[in-house]
Amino acid sequence: MVAPAWLPTAWALFQGLLIEAMPFLLIGVLISGLARWLAPGGRWLRRLPTHPLLGPLCGAALGFALPACECGNVPVARRLLVAGAPLDGALGFLFAAPVLNPIVIASTWAAFPDQPWLLLARPLGAVVVAVGLCRLLALLPEEQLLQADVVAERRLNQPLGTVSLLQRRGGVLGAPSPSPATPTPRPPLLEVLHHSSGELLQLALLLVGGCALAALVQTLLPRQWLLQLGGAPTGSILALMALSLVISVCSSVDAFLALSFAAQVTPGALLAFLLLGPVIDLKLIGLLGLLLRPRGLLLASGGALLTVLLIGQWVNLWRL
Amino acid sequence: MTSTRLRAAGLALWGLVLLRAASDGRLALLLRGVFHPLVSLAGIVLLVLAVAMLLPLRQRSTPGGPVRRGDWLTLAASALIALLLILVPPNPSFADLAQQRPGDDTAEAELSFVLPPAQRSLTDWVRLLRSQADPRLFSGEPALISGFVLPRDGGPPVLARLLVRCCLADATPIGLAVRWPSDRPPPKRDQWLQVEGVMAVQAGPQGEELVLLPRRIQPIQRPQRPLEP
Repeated sequence: MVAPAWLPTAWALFQGLLIEAMPFLLIGVLISGLARWLAPGGRWLRRLPTHPLLGPLCGAALGFALPACECGNVPVARRLLVAGAPLDGALGFLFAAPVLNPIVIASTWAAFPDQPWLLLARPLGAVVVAVGLCRLLALLPEEQLLQADVVAERRLNQPLGTVSLLQRRGGVLGAPSPSPATPTPRPPLLEVLHHSSGELLQLALLLVGGCALAALVQTLLPRQWLLQLGGAPTGSILALMALSLVISVCSSVDAFLALSFAAQVTPGALLAFLLLGPVIDLKLIGLLGLLLRPRGLLLASGGALLTVLLIGQWVNLWRL
Repeated sequence: MTSTRLRAAGLALWGLVLLRAASDGRLALLLRGVFHPLVSLAGIVLLVLAVAMLLPLRQRSTPGGPVRRGDWLTLAASALIALLLILVPPNPSFADLAQQRPGDDTAEAELSFVLPPAQRSLTDWVRLLRSQADPRLFSGEPALISGFVLPRDGGPPVLARLLVRCCLADATPIGLAVRWPSDRPPPKRDQWLQVEGVMAVQAGPQGEELVLLPRRIQPIQRPQRPLEP
């Protein structure tokens, strides 16, 4: 049996994507494990605002403190969710922090020093997308939005005043509620390591699936086809959105990639490329599936596509 | 066997994959140089974590519980992928990659210094041409460049290189025209060549373009660092 001619190239692309992403995934899991060890029970996380606007904004701002690209963000967002942080804060972090962090802002500036509007529009756009997605996903009850294991662990860390014993699936009826001031004991480091290693292995397998899909699509679908659609204002935005879904590169370097075709596309399309990739792409689908149920993932993907398209259109009206 | 042992084995496998990639030279084929130390460091950290998980087993104080079916499945899948990654090195066709992508149009206005002609790489030549749009300025200058043969629609093949910002997935091609000798068969697609010659100006599809008139063409192995930053 002869292997198809495209297979060696697809295999190399797969290895490139996977090996580049693994260190970032490890960083994300280490941050998540460290947070579990340093702030057991996540009491300070539960104090994040629940306001529909302030919640996502605070979550997004956490990106400055925990700089990781989108692969590393998933385990950190999972830790926020299971620690009982407000949903808006955790999702705001998940969707906006891959852009709102110093590394990504610096790389955008380095790639486009002559386009200051982009330096402002990218973080602002990321916040708009994150707030929009938080409001959209709030339409679903947590049980329909989040994966069952995430909800189960989250319930255990939420105050008894907000979830019932039935929802927690644990506890003793009639037992006094623990005082909110009672600190949760710090877990042994080895237990944290055991937990984090399981998380890393699970995420690595999902990452493998995402990278394989991205490599296959990249090999079989010539990129020029997408860029050739990019002459018209709306066509260029749609083409660059499709490209960002397919290429699946890390948000810390995507600005340099965008630089190579910036002259061929409209400003709205350029911004759409820089906004969509950090929220959703083929490589990320598997990882996000660890947090969100299929319905939530579909809603988040649809919402992100629509919001980014609208932002791109608005920028084209403004800049063209 | 405890679940801790299984997870430690999984971490060690991924660590070995990253260290193997860092040691057998394949990183130069897959990633930009700036990421290489990060990959090596991640491999070392994974191995250290695996050992840290196993050490307490000797003291019988491990937090791990009984092995679940999911643990075995995760380890088996990780082992299969790790084995494939270690045993099957990447061998991409650069011409296939380049033909699927648009050329790199990055303006290189910030050339800080210009190397003497004979020391310029193919990438240096292309960047220089972008900063000095008149190709006649370089006519008659000697050149010694290497790259892979990239077929071009409606014209003879060019000698090309791939520019990479992050990993192979974002590689974009740049190329320089070569006037291939008419008394020899055209070069093979994807073949790596070193070409020595003199620059000249010819009429191209988009006006005048610089072309290399070869004096000597020599097939070479793919370089150890085939990607350009």
